[in-house]
Amino acid sequence: MKQDDQKIRNIGISAHIDSGKTTLSERILFYTKRIHAIHDVKGKDGVGATMDSMELEKERGITIASAATYCEWKGHEVNIIDTPGHVDFTIEVERSLRVLDGAILVLCSVGGVQSQSITVDQQMKRYKVPCIAFINKCDRSGANPFRVIGQLRAKLGHNAVAMQIPIGLENELQGVVDLVTMKAVYFDGASGEEVRVSDIPDHLLEEAKAKREELIDAASLFSDELTEAILEEQDIPAEMLYAAVRKGTLKREITPVYMGSAYKNKGVQPLLDGVTHLLPAPSEVENVALDMNNNEAPVALTSDPDKPIIALAFKLEDGQYGQLTYIRVYEGTVEKGATIVNVRNGKKIKVGRVVRMHADQMEDVDSLRAGYIGALFGIECASGDTFVSPGINMTMTSMYVPKPVISLAIVPKDNKSQMSMSKALNRFSKEDPTFKAYVDPETNETIIEGMGELHLDIYVERMKREYGAEVTTGNPRVAYRETITQRADFNYTHKKQTGGAGQFGRIAGYIEPISDAEFIFENEIFGGSIPTQYIPACEKGFRESMAKGPKLEFPITGVKVVINDGASHAVDSSDMAFQAAARGAFRDAYLRAKPVIHEPIMKVVVETPTEFQGPVMGLLNQRRGMIVGSQDEGVMSVVEAQVPLAEMFGFSTILRSSTQGKAQFTMEFAQYRQVPQSVAEKIAAEVAQNKKTAA
Amino acid sequence: MGSQTAIRKNNNVIPFPYEELIMIKKEMISRNPLNNLGFAGEDILPNGGLGAVLAHAGLGKTALLVQMALNTMFQEKPVLHVSLNDAVSKVDVWYRELFNDISEGNDPAEIAEFWEKIQIYRFIMTFRVEGFSVPKLEERLTDLMQQNIFKPHTMIIDGLKFDESGRGLLFQLKEMAKLFGMRIWFTVHTHRHEPPKEDGLPLSFLHVEDLFDVLVQLAAKGPKVYIKALKGQSPEAKKEALELEPSTMLIQD
Repeated sequence: MKQDDQKIRNIGISAHIDSGKTTLSERILFYTKRIHAIHDVKGKDGVGATMDSMELEKERGITIASAATYCEWKGHEVNIIDTPGHVDFTIEVERSLRVLDGAILVLCSVGGVQSQSITVDQQMKRYKVPCIAFINKCDRSGANPFRVIGQLRAKLGHNAVAMQIPIGLENELQGVVDLVTMKAVYFDGASGEEVRVSDIPDHLLEEAKAKREELIDAASLFSDELTEAILEEQDIPAEMLYAAVRKGTLKREITPVYMGSAYKNKGVQPLLDGVTHLLPAPSEVENVALDMNNNEAPVALTSDPDKPIIALAFKLEDGQYGQLTYIRVYEGTVEKGATIVNVRNGKKIKVGRVVRMHADQMEDVDSLRAGYIGALFGIECASGDTFVSPGINMTMTSMYVPKPVISLAIVPKDNKSQMSMSKALNRFSKEDPTFKAYVDPETNETIIEGMGELHLDIYVERMKREYGAEVTTGNPRVAYRETITQRADFNYTHKKQTGGAGQFGRIAGYIEPISDAEFIFENEIFGGSIPTQYIPACEKGFRESMAKGPKLEFPITGVKVVINDGASHAVDSSDMAFQAAARGAFRDAYLRAKPVIHEPIMKVVVETPTEFQGPVMGLLNQRRGMIVGSQDEGVMSVVEAQVPLAEMFGFSTILRSSTQGKAQFTMEFAQYRQVPQSVAEKIAAEVAQNKKTAA
Repeated sequence: MGSQTAIRKNNNVIPFPYEELIMIKKEMISRNPLNNLGFAGEDILPNGGLGAVLAHAGLGKTALLVQMALNTMFQEKPVLHVSLNDAVSKVDVWYRELFNDISEGNDPAEIAEFWEKIQIYRFIMTFRVEGFSVPKLEERLTDLMQQNIFKPHTMIIDGLKFDESGRGLLFQLKEMAKLFGMRIWFTVHTHRHEPPKEDGLPLSFLHVEDLFDVLVQLAAKGPKVYIKALKGQSPEAKKEALELEPSTMLIQD
């Protein structure tokens, strides 16, 4: 059983825009016989703008960009997982990187390592995804794969080694020399489908020998067997060399480099060989689930198909037959007819159709074993949900969902956009638990909430791109909160006598700060000074007051209310009267309890070329940031800081312009912290101003 | 507050609740290993001074220096922690855990608040061992100071390989410490296979010993860890080793 697992590859293709990802994906599908004809990405007349992949797909009815496409190469099953086009840090990107075991990093032989390649590479690094590089477009004028290898080393810090050298370059590109087998490889036939292996042309023999020497040198670090063979000057068999390079690749300590031109049908098949030889099988990658019975302690998974099921739903797609849920199985086997449980809500689900996606069709299968990727039909769930066998309580993603820290009002431009917008919002909230949307009852505006400016920007952009919903956005608003810092007593009487039955209620007690809960209500009344039936009304009154602070109108957290005395009237007291009394008491005590404003503080991590470390720290410092530290990693540096969210608006633009676009940052919510007095005054002034304009 | 106070506090000032910290501070002073060994003075090291903690692997060199750093941060003096082994996040965990152990028994909410207030006195800088050099460190430091981000009072360098780095590097560091008016503590990894000289100093350390003002050594006897002064004590101080509590690296009660 284990053997099958060794023949699975779950890979992503990561690329800079315009480095030929679509063409390469298409050629891979063609050579693996998933599609039967290839078309050019260029328009039919061969001039004008290139089509983007979406239009291309539409025209051809294939789904290159479906979440996972399955194909076979020399007895290996390869799943190509779509990595989202946007490179920003969102849950969606995180999930797609998580289900990959390895990746092909596509680079252009002319453009080389560009800033977007840097971003893509950093994501791979963050998720420890082993990768091989493919230097594409070697047929273009100015192509120089060895310069790109140099850049991989210098700019990305990869230990890049060539697995091949090109035979001819630019318009004379004919094929490649395989440095492992020391053979020349040519691609004949109308679409390069016939691979012809022959001897290395004489004029390249010396260069090939030298480059092979470099390859063996780099690989020997990972294999004693290889080192021994070198010392004893034995012949080095291909398997031994592959095994050593593979070891280094899996550790991310070596990046094997392939080259060719997907457009000219050269070099794609050897790249596929590289995928099967060098990238990991599912069981070679460490995957971790969180044990819900043990405080979300991490548990390493074994990829064993006989164990109970643990699977992750990583992407949802709306198809004509309903919702298609893409899953990756980490342990156990998901079979047709089996019962699985959605860990998030405990719902039991019977597995109906299990399918595997091909480029232009889907194939029904009976089961998906550990390590496999496939899709389920007709299952109601959200993206990121974990499915398990009944009785298991593990999750692939933390159940902790942070509260949104920023909000934005959005207005659709027209009726059509209105419809698409609500469809999109529905989908996004399902995909991403940190994204929320609601209609503000006071202003009737649609508000979206999320974890940062960028986070919301991405969804606004996706609304336009994927759903055709044009919206205008308001200014982002930070989710401030209020809390109190000291105890304050209250003794408040609510009394109204306007003819007929009056209202009467008196409540006494105190409020005090607490740190580990949002709101606690305690009743310490003995002797019935407030009759028991009115106590829930008191609690309701206090709880309602927490929704908006009396002065700044931010939600209040961390308050304990204790009531210990009061009075009632036989006729005039009512639930309403005590609710009103509670609200009055709270308002009264709150202002004496020294309220303060808390603001969301973000953990900001900037990855920058080392030469810009100083300016980056300056930028963070100017934003009331506290720099925790800096990490020097050779060509790149990482600066970690805690910065108030309110100061981070527009940071990406400023960061880009101060670092020539070479730095990038991620931001996640860390904690709420009290705002300094000077800032609190500014916020109060702003709130007052807003109230004025609203009035 | 002396001139050494973290510049970082700038306009963000949150008043330091000195009295609330007194209990923990008192405990840290009364059980401070270096004070108990008879090292005098608030800072132990003078401006431009070098100090080192010598020990075999796994005895708590880093923990002891982190504890000393925390002590300095308590006095509102900024500490720059340079690590050649660990990532920023890992160094941060060292501090949090030791701080939590030291302040155990106090109200968690207050402890969290103290932490917020003292962590502005710490800056972590990590380098890869092979990428570390004094000019580079000096460049970074100048950057921080010129931009008014951080001006260290004490620096800690964890993970420098003494047997490999020559005397020149330490000499440069000492010069830098003088220039910036700070003091530097090092961890020194000693090897089990290398028998020490009579005074307890390993042979591989002798070539740089004279550059140091203070040297202490950690040693294990069974499950217990002891600290001993090797250099820099006042003449009348006790000479015997003192037992440390492994979780806090303070003197055992």
